[in-house]
Amino acid sequence: MAFRKRNIALTRSPSGEDTSASPSSPSPVPTPVRPPPGVRPSPIDGRLTTSTGTPSLDGVLAGHAGLPLGNSILIGESGTTDYAGALLRFYAAEGVVQGHKVHVVGMGEVWGRELPGIAEDKEDRRKEGKERAEKMKIAWRYEGLGQFESARGAPTPNRSPSQVEGAHGEVAAVFCHTFDLARRLTLPVGTAINYVPIPRTSSPFPAILQGIQRQLASTPPNTIHRLVIPSLLSPAIYPPISSHPSSVLQFLHALRALLRQYPTRLTAIITLPLSLYPRTAGLVRWMEILSDGVLELSPFPYSHMQTLATSAGTTKDEEKPQGMLAVHKLPVFHEKGGGGGADGLGEDLAFTLSRRKFVIAKFSLPPLEGDREAQEEAGREMSGGNAMPRKEELEF
Amino acid sequence: MPPSSRIPPLLQAYVRLPRDDSILLLTSTLGASANWLVIRFLCDALSSPPTTTTQDSDEEEHGGADVVLVSWMREYEFWRQEARKGGGLDLERLRREARFAFVDGLSTLFLPPPPPIERKEDEAERGSQGQAVGMVGRAGLPVRGPAPGRVGPVRGLAGTPAVAAAAAQTMTATAAISQAGSPSSTPGLYTLKSPDLAHLKATISSALMHIQSASSASTKRKTLLLLDNPDILLATVPSLSPSALTSTLLTLHTQASHILVHMQADTPLLSLSTPPQPLEVAQHNFLVKMAHMSRRILSVRVLDTGVARDVSGVLRVTENRESWVDLGFGGGKDEGKGEEQNRELLYLVKGDGSVRVFERGAGGEG
Repeated sequence: MAFRKRNIALTRSPSGEDTSASPSSPSPVPTPVRPPPGVRPSPIDGRLTTSTGTPSLDGVLAGHAGLPLGNSILIGESGTTDYAGALLRFYAAEGVVQGHKVHVVGMGEVWGRELPGIAEDKEDRRKEGKERAEKMKIAWRYEGLGQFESARGAPTPNRSPSQVEGAHGEVAAVFCHTFDLARRLTLPVGTAINYVPIPRTSSPFPAILQGIQRQLASTPPNTIHRLVIPSLLSPAIYPPISSHPSSVLQFLHALRALLRQYPTRLTAIITLPLSLYPRTAGLVRWMEILSDGVLELSPFPYSHMQTLATSAGTTKDEEKPQGMLAVHKLPVFHEKGGGGGADGLGEDLAFTLSRRKFVIAKFSLPPLEGDREAQEEAGREMSGGNAMPRKEELEF
Repeated sequence: MPPSSRIPPLLQAYVRLPRDDSILLLTSTLGASANWLVIRFLCDALSSPPTTTTQDSDEEEHGGADVVLVSWMREYEFWRQEARKGGGLDLERLRREARFAFVDGLSTLFLPPPPPIERKEDEAERGSQGQAVGMVGRAGLPVRGPAPGRVGPVRGLAGTPAVAAAAAQTMTATAAISQAGSPSSTPGLYTLKSPDLAHLKATISSALMHIQSASSASTKRKTLLLLDNPDILLATVPSLSPSALTSTLLTLHTQASHILVHMQADTPLLSLSTPPQPLEVAQHNFLVKMAHMSRRILSVRVLDTGVARDVSGVLRVTENRESWVDLGFGGGKDEGKGEEQNRELLYLVKGDGSVRVFERGAGGEG
C-alpha cells in the first residue's frame, strides 16, 4: 500500500486524470477536473498546494513544496523593516499571474500597483538550462520535491515537471514565477485584486469576513482565492478596538473556519508587526495557535559599514543574509504532530532579499576578518620556502 | 490491523481510561500539537467491539467507551482522516453506530453561516454567474446524498483532495440539515453556533444523550467526553469567567463518566506579563483549576534542546494519585502504583501517522 501511494504521489502530472475519476466532483457536469492553474498536488500526500510566490519559502513548508490549500501562514516581523511585506507581494503577484482571486485587506490600489513584475530572465534561462542539464543526473522523481538545498538558489526544482517537457513544445505550467522587485506587474484589466477596506466601525472584522465569504460564494468553484492581510493590527490601518482579544481572535477563529470550509479554494498569509505585539504576549500566542503556519523574521540591525564594504561586489552582497527566519509552526505538518518529511526544520535559517528573489537558506556565520588574514598568512607561509614547519613547532 | 495495536506499548497505560469517573487533562504547546494523542485516546476508547455483551470481567479488562468529541479548533474532516490514518478507526461507521458523536465548535462559532443560503435571490438577480453558483449549491445536495454511506476515500491518491472537498461539503450540508431540525438524517453531528455556555451545555448534553440512548442497556460502557481546546472560549469571549466554564464542565461530568480536556499550555499564556492581561489570567486560572481536578495530566511539549529529526516532542505524564477520589477504591489490578506516577517519554510522529513512544535514550533504531 505504501509503495503504491508513493508511486502515485510522485507522478505529479497536472493532467488531472485521477481527480476526474471521482464521481462527486463539485461541478454538475461530470467533466474531467483539472487542477486550476498554479495548483499542484503535494509530493507527500497529494493534497493540493499553491505557491507562495517565493520558491525557497515553498521549500520550507514541510516537503509539500507549496502552501496547502485551506491553510494560512502568519508571518511575524520585528523591527521597522518590511521583509514580510515583500513576501506578501510575491504571494499576491503570484496569485495575480496565475489568475487567482487576490483579496488584500486594508491596503489601497497603490499597494496593488507596486506588485513586482515577472522577471525577464535571459541570463536565468541560460543558467537554468545548465542546471537542468545537471539535474538530468538525478533521477527525475527526486526533482521538484521541494528540497531545501535545491530550493535555495535555483527556481527550477520548484516548477512542475511539465516545465521540462515544455522545452519540447508543450505548454509550460509554471508553479512559481520569478519576480523582479524593480519591475511593476501590469495588472490584467478587470478585478484582479479585490481591495477590502477596513471599516472604521466598532469591530472591523465581521465586515471583512462577510466580504470574502460573498466573494467565495459568488465565484465558480474552481477559482482559487488568496487572502493577503498586511500588518494585522497595525494602528496605522486598524482601529484600536481591533486588537482586543474578542475582536481579533474571533476573526482568526472565523478565518480558520472559513479556510476549512473551502479546503480547496482559499489560502491566506497574514503579517504581524512583532514590535507592537510581542510573541511573549498571550494574545499573540493565541493568534499563532489559530494560524496554521507561523514564521518569524528577525532582521539583522542595519549597519552602514557592511553595505559600504560589500557595495563593490554585488554577488557577495547577495549572499549576505539580512536576517534570521524562525519556523515555529508549519501547516499540516505540525497539525499532525510533527515528524517526518520536514528536513532542516531545526536548522538556523537566514533570509536574503534581493531584487529577484527572497532566499531562505541555512545560516552560517561568515568567517571573521581577522581569521581570514591569519588564514591567508598561513597559506602564504605554507606555499613559501618554509613549507614544512620546523620540528619544534609541531605538537605531538 | 486492529486499532488498539496502533497505540505504542509504553503509551497504553496512559491512554486507558481510569476505572472510576474522572477528568483527564491534556496540554499542548504551539510546536507540539497533541492531536496524535487525542487520536490514541479515541483508539483505545472505540476499539472494543460494539456488541460486547459480557459484563464485569470484560469491562475491567478493557472497557471501551462511547465518545463525544467537541472540537473548537479542528473540523470533523480532519479528525476523520487522522483517525483513519493514525488510528485505523472509521469514525463515519462509529458515528452511524452511535458510538461516536462530533460537536463542531469551529465552523459556525464565529463565522456567520455561508451567505448563499440567505442571498440566493440576490445572486439570481445579480447575473448568470451568481445563478450558476446557486444552481451548483442546490444541485450539489442530491448528488452527494449517498456520499455519507460510502467508506472513506483511499488515502494518498491524487484524487483525495477533490473527494475530501466533496466530503467536507457533504459535512456542512448535512450539518445544515441537522440545524434545520431533522436529527435522524445525520445522527451524531452537532454544531455550536454561539460561544454561549447555555447553548454549549445544551448541545453537548443532547450529543451525550444521543450516544447513551443508542447504546443498549445490556452494555454498560463508559462515556468519554473529549473537549478539544475549550480554552478558546476564554480567549475569544473575555466576559466568560473561568469558573463558569469549569462549573459547566462539572455539570457535564454528571452525564459523562470521563472527561478529557485538551488545552494550550504555552508559556506566554501562563506566565503573566507585567501588566497581567485578562486573557492570560483567565487561561492560567482555568488551567490550574483543571489540573487540580484532573486525575491524570498528560502534557506534550517540544524538546527543550531544539528540533530533532528523530524526536517530535516530549510527553510528560503525571498521575494525580493523592486525590481524595482515589482513597477508597484505588488500586485496581491494571494500575501499577509508583513507577508510572511521573514519567517523561519522547515521541515521534511519523509521516504515515504512526507514532513511536520511547524512553529518553532508547530511540535510535527508527
